[in-house]
Amino acid sequence: MFVTLFRLSSLCLLIVSQVHGEEESPKDDSFYEAIVRIENTSQKANYSNPWNNGSIRRGSGTGFLIGKNRFLTNAHVVSDSRLVYLKKRNDPKPYKAKILHIAHDCDLALLALEDPSAFEKVPPLYLGGIPKLDTTVRAIGYPVGGDRMSITRGVVSRIEFNTYTHSRVDSHLSIQVDAAINPGNSGGPVVQNGKVVGVAFQGYNGSVAQNTGYMIPVPVIDRFLKDVGDGEYDQYVDLGISEFNLLNPAQRRALGLQKYEGLGVMVGAAYKAGSAEDTLQVGDVLIEIDGLPIASDGFVTIGADRVNMSEVVERKFRDETVQIKFIREGKEQSGEIKLRRFDPAYISGNNYEVTPRYILLAGLLFQPLDRNMYAAHKNRNLHQRYIYNYYSTDGIYEERPEVVVLTSILPDEVNTHFSMFEDNVVDKINGVTIKTLQQAYDSLHPEEMPDFHVIEFIGSGRPLVLETDRVEKAHQRILDKYNVTRDHYLEKPEKG
Amino acid sequence: MKSLLIILSFLLSSFCLADPGPVQSLVRVNMTSQSYYFYQPWEKQDPSTRRGLGAVIAGDKVLTGAKYLANSTYIEIEHPVTGKKLPAKIEAIDYEANLALLSPLEPMFPDREPLELDTDASAGDTLEAWQVESNGTPLIIESKISRTQVGTTFLDDHEFLQYEVSGVMQFRGGSVTVPMIRDGKLAGLLVSYDSKEQVSEVIAGPIIEHFLTDIADGEYEGFPSLGISVSQTLDDQFRKYLQLPENGGGIYVSEVKPGGTADQSGLKKGDVILSIDGNPIDARGYYTHPEFGKLEYLHLIRSKPFVGDNLKLGILRSGENSDLIVTLDKQPASAELIDPYMFDRAPRYIVLGGLVFQELTRTYLEMYGSDWKNRAPFKLSYADAYPSKYEKEGLDKLVFLSRVIPTKNNVGYEKLSHLIVKKVNGTKITDIKDLDKALAEPLEGFHKIEFTEFPSVIYIDAEEAGKTNVQLKKDYGIHELKQIE
Repeated sequence: MFVTLFRLSSLCLLIVSQVHGEEESPKDDSFYEAIVRIENTSQKANYSNPWNNGSIRRGSGTGFLIGKNRFLTNAHVVSDSRLVYLKKRNDPKPYKAKILHIAHDCDLALLALEDPSAFEKVPPLYLGGIPKLDTTVRAIGYPVGGDRMSITRGVVSRIEFNTYTHSRVDSHLSIQVDAAINPGNSGGPVVQNGKVVGVAFQGYNGSVAQNTGYMIPVPVIDRFLKDVGDGEYDQYVDLGISEFNLLNPAQRRALGLQKYEGLGVMVGAAYKAGSAEDTLQVGDVLIEIDGLPIASDGFVTIGADRVNMSEVVERKFRDETVQIKFIREGKEQSGEIKLRRFDPAYISGNNYEVTPRYILLAGLLFQPLDRNMYAAHKNRNLHQRYIYNYYSTDGIYEERPEVVVLTSILPDEVNTHFSMFEDNVVDKINGVTIKTLQQAYDSLHPEEMPDFHVIEFIGSGRPLVLETDRVEKAHQRILDKYNVTRDHYLEKPEKG
Repeated sequence: MKSLLIILSFLLSSFCLADPGPVQSLVRVNMTSQSYYFYQPWEKQDPSTRRGLGAVIAGDKVLTGAKYLANSTYIEIEHPVTGKKLPAKIEAIDYEANLALLSPLEPMFPDREPLELDTDASAGDTLEAWQVESNGTPLIIESKISRTQVGTTFLDDHEFLQYEVSGVMQFRGGSVTVPMIRDGKLAGLLVSYDSKEQVSEVIAGPIIEHFLTDIADGEYEGFPSLGISVSQTLDDQFRKYLQLPENGGGIYVSEVKPGGTADQSGLKKGDVILSIDGNPIDARGYYTHPEFGKLEYLHLIRSKPFVGDNLKLGILRSGENSDLIVTLDKQPASAELIDPYMFDRAPRYIVLGGLVFQELTRTYLEMYGSDWKNRAPFKLSYADAYPSKYEKEGLDKLVFLSRVIPTKNNVGYEKLSHLIVKKVNGTKITDIKDLDKALAEPLEGFHKIEFTEFPSVIYIDAEEAGKTNVQLKKDYGIHELKQIE
């Protein structure tokens, strides 16, 4: 309970510590010394030819010193990194850095120099609060258009929940500013009155909207820094439900809410394996979260601010709890929910720092369905598209934790009739329903080899049949011909 | 003397009507149709009128294509020379085969010379496209049959014998159907033309004959179907697995539609069809027709026999050869979970306090344009492509909330749309009539509506909904709040 109160009060603190006044340039030039250019050499996994190591690219962004040998930047600036250098203002020497923590769900990363001596005398930047609407901020960084530091000014235009495009699936608080934020600005500080009020991180392509940059606000930065405080990043957590606003009078009466004027949202879907699976069910009406009454539009009031109830969960860490009050069949009940991440929702999220998992047999490439794989292939198959879109909401993950897809075929005489199976989702191999990639591998490599491998696909009435004698001969030939260095990789990555 | 001869021959040609010709044997068919507006199913869309040509056949009947007669509201037959018009009605129509037979509601123009049917035209033959210019003079364009094939001219999934005809085609008077003639006899109906490739599709004589024969017995049953999906057996490994000889034929039955002809006759998924009525089927699914050459096996099932006929299938099941007699049947489109087409039938719907419930039809999905498979709500188009999940749950139709017309009593539900209904007032909903019955028994004054997905359940005040329905009639002019027949 202490933890809960602590989190909430910290949220209040952030809100009251809003910064006032007009933005002025700092008098002391050393302020800028804390802002560095980050050069990252990355290697992005190749999901079309997963045996390849991926293409090597260089990119750059911005970061800033926030404590003793601790630099903050965006996760996307240093994703899939092989080598990172920091560059100090007015100093040609690159300093080699390492990544301490990288949080893809909130697009933040923490770096440290291997040799911190060059920054020993540089004062770090301090975090401020949430800037007020219509106040001026400055974005500082190393964007395209030149090599030296650039500073742009803008006004805080909007503060609201928004999708973080780096992962595609996470939404957190973000602040829109009309300062020009361009590629290279990423990871740089946005400051007001000498304090950091955000980290510049995304914008629109000029053809969509102009002068709209977004920054990650201090509450999100703060949460990241607290999360990694124990030496490990634990990710955001989620209730694992979808709430339906209770604005309809008849629905309110039918659910027995006469006494709860203006309060309550209904659980419209409760997902298996979600945090709330043992506590809440469809039709329950949530009326209170951590002591805060939930309005019928899903908002709670903290101090003077109305924020979405998910904001309460946002601030929490893995294995922490929320206290809830809800109404089931007209009776008020209370419960405690231990929070964890709802993993199935991440099937459509980008993955970084991963080695693609696959099986290649007789030129047939099998891969588990995830965002990276989905983005690399054509996905013409209707079932695959359906599973991808409804994997988490329809509970498909319960019956098929991993969905294995025949994503492509390296043409050879052994597989010349199989093109119709491309993009199909594997249902069974040799009679076994396939629920993991490992299981697919084991089924294709039994101790006693059958005459035929029979692979059945979802929605395809005709199975794919492989003569095992021919597979044996063709397999090595295909590996050689197509320069395949490794015919499978099955290991599951650590969640990161 | 010379001028007299010309006058004589003119007189002859105008009085002797023995020979058929475009001017003598055709009529124009003016078709006005109006389809339902599925988004607001109590309304119809703007009517549209098309002009086509019809071939006059024995008994003062007119044969033409079916496509533009769908949802017809008014049909008339026009004399190609005099322009005199007669109202007409549909005697029989088959949208799958794209054929219709019309008859005038008043006595036929007395000068019409009926056409006989020719069912022997095949690749290499020259056909004449008969048309009439707007001034009443004939126009004949010759073109050659380049290929005889089994294909569709209108609805997907319905393939029949057709001629592909090559050559430039011009259409007079906006015609959408053109009779094709060989040696003065009707050999087919041209129903589509690709101006880029300069090829036309012609519904073949044998299909017209089948259509007319079916009508002649007084009850039109339509073209039978087997109710299976098949795949080729070219794949040598697959052949070996199925214990098929290396260089033989046969098609693999990959799906058997529950309740269809094949299912009733005991054909099973995994069987291989080797022959149909003694005609060997090759590994691609073709057989050799004595006149038309290589044709898809479908012709042996859909185009030749009639409903009720027996077919002998030579099959291979688990390596064993056997014969299977199937009695051909035909399921009406309305028997499907999701109607593949909805012509001349009103969509079934119920409006409840602004909530619009409908039975899902493909016509509804087709409102999303030619790319509807990608643009229509995905859950619904997926249900259309793979209805078996819902069929197994015992549903006859898929009832869904199509939209919400904002009213006082559906506040908070405005954004809901395209949700499949599971239960209403505790009763499972298998078609719109179930919904109607369930709505007669509200639970403690509320209608409880359950969906298959988020938000899972909503409630409507039963009494308020009744009042709102009255208001809806007034405010939005919805004259009919339900149509369940």
